[in-house]
Amino acid sequence: MSKYQAGTYTGEAPKVWPAKVNQIPKEIFGDAALFEEELKKIFYGDTWHVVGHTAEVPNIGDFKTFDLGRVPLLIARGKDNQVRVFFNSCTHRGNQLETSVSGNRKEFECPYHRWLFSLDGALAACPGSKEFAPDFKQENFGLVELKTDQYLGLILVTMGKNTPPLKEWLGDIVPLTLSALLGGDGRLKLLGYQKVRYVSNWKGYNDNDGYHGGLLHTAFRMLNFQGGSGSQPMSVNGHWVIEAELKPAQNSGFLNDPSLIDFKVADPKRGSLVVQLYPMTVMVKHMDVINLRFAIARSHDVTEVHYAYFAHEDDSEELVQHRIRQSSNLLGPCGMVSMEDAAVFQRIHIGNHTPGVAEFQKGVVSLSELSLDMKQSDETGNLPRWEHYRKVMGFKREGEQ
Amino acid sequence: MSPVSEALSSTSTTDKAAKALLPLDDFTWNSWSAMETQWRVERLLSRYVACIDEDDLENWPEFFTLDTCRYEIITRENVERGMPLALMFCTSRGMLVDRIVSLREANIYPQRWYRHIISNVLIQSVDAECLQVQSNYVVLQTRRNGQTDIFSAGKYLDRIVLSKGELKFSEKRVVVDTHRVDTLLVAPI
Ligand code: FES
Ligand SMILES: [Fe+2]
Repeated sequence: MSKYQAGTYTGEAPKVWPAKVNQIPKEIFGDAALFEEELKKIFYGDTWHVVGHTAEVPNIGDFKTFDLGRVPLLIARGKDNQVRVFFNSCTHRGNQLETSVSGNRKEFECPYHRWLFSLDGALAACPGSKEFAPDFKQENFGLVELKTDQYLGLILVTMGKNTPPLKEWLGDIVPLTLSALLGGDGRLKLLGYQKVRYVSNWKGYNDNDGYHGGLLHTAFRMLNFQGGSGSQPMSVNGHWVIEAELKPAQNSGFLNDPSLIDFKVADPKRGSLVVQLYPMTVMVKHMDVINLRFAIARSHDVTEVHYAYFAHEDDSEELVQHRIRQSSNLLGPCGMVSMEDAAVFQRIHIGNHTPGVAEFQKGVVSLSELSLDMKQSDETGNLPRWEHYRKVMGFKREGEQ
Repeated sequence: MSPVSEALSSTSTTDKAAKALLPLDDFTWNSWSAMETQWRVERLLSRYVACIDEDDLENWPEFFTLDTCRYEIITRENVERGMPLALMFCTSRGMLVDRIVSLREANIYPQRWYRHIISNVLIQSVDAECLQVQSNYVVLQTRRNGQTDIFSAGKYLDRIVLSKGELKFSEKRVVVDTHRVDTLLVAPI
């Protein structure tokens, strides 16, 4: 018999969380009002958000558009080679400035009243300005830039007033693995995207995309992938880093064409690297695949993820071809070894429209204290992030004053 | 070789062929008239999509040439930006088989039916070895709750050869307009 009584389902996030650190109230996944709070406190709040990598806009005039929650962004490389992130909104009457997902422009023109912005955001021209309001000054109407910082080309933005400096926010555990994941120096070359829409709350996506116990992916077992030694530290502000040895698979007979899973440059000792940055960015290097996942929380039940794949600028042509083949077949929503993730995001979301809590088990040694380290295949890596989320959102624990 | 096929002895790739929309109303290929060739190509495409829609996927690799073949599902977005990354990319018959084995034995995904609709089958170029054919497709997806959605729309760019008397794909490039996948893509298109 279950300990939960039927009839207690409200569909609303509870005001108070369970006292046990391994329990997550399921009703936080389907609550539309809570999503509005999350936008304010998390997505528009005091944390950094990964919105792209400079390799996506390699040439002067290249741009891409993206969203942070519901806020439209325009990321552009200027004549000075600087990559800037603007609100994608004309400073005249607020019209969406750029509608393409990506491209190359000499300048950005708003079609509404033909205001023209240069690549660095300055307002270059605005017809009829002689008759504008008396306090109008052209130099005050450049595109508005978000607070931006970069780490080896990774572009992060924040709209919070009290966001800590990026270095401090990344902390100790992230840089070593993240730099290896980004090819050591961040000089990456974009190979392309796989974009996907999940019918899942962003937290459900996030809770399962970076890492979960190894039982889900039958293909990993069929391929004989042996997880070797590794480390998987977490930080109190919700980041999580995993380094794992991947023993090159002895051909298990599963693949007719095992060349797909060769290691060409990846060091099997660090065959699998995962960096998960709070609140919802997952980046992985698995064998020779370099994959950054730019995620957008669209609503309480839709999450969009742009899986961007990269090579390194110094790669030989042969290596690039190998990366393309691995990247196009293994991971992500079409990848033959881990597409189960996509199915799970949706099922988690449906299943969480029920009363009670989701309870983490494997590796939990204390119900009151969180550990910042875990053993391979434990479930506990998500718990510090949940604790950080709980605090940011202001949920009290049972018994807490 | 007929005068037309001589004139068209092009080695262009499917992409180039897509640009050159030639009025191929009259030719002979392997002793077949243009009309018969068109009919045989349409038969091949019909059998190909029936194989997928009827979930007869173990036979899907049989539609491709044995020695060298290439099957790719790539988004129009990546193609137009000159980026090579695909959603599925097989460069050998073995890889085609691996996809199906994986789908059957390893992958977990919600049950659904595919229904392909094909139109505008256009033979674009003809040479001694092969036909370059472009066609449009739509895949409708019906989930087990009975709801049908458009899962994918796009075009096939096919290189078709005659192998032991049978038409086979030596290359099939599926260029997907619907570049944002709904949840996941497990079966071939
Ligand atoms: S709103 Fe852009 S020019 Fe008026
Ligand atoms: Fe997974």
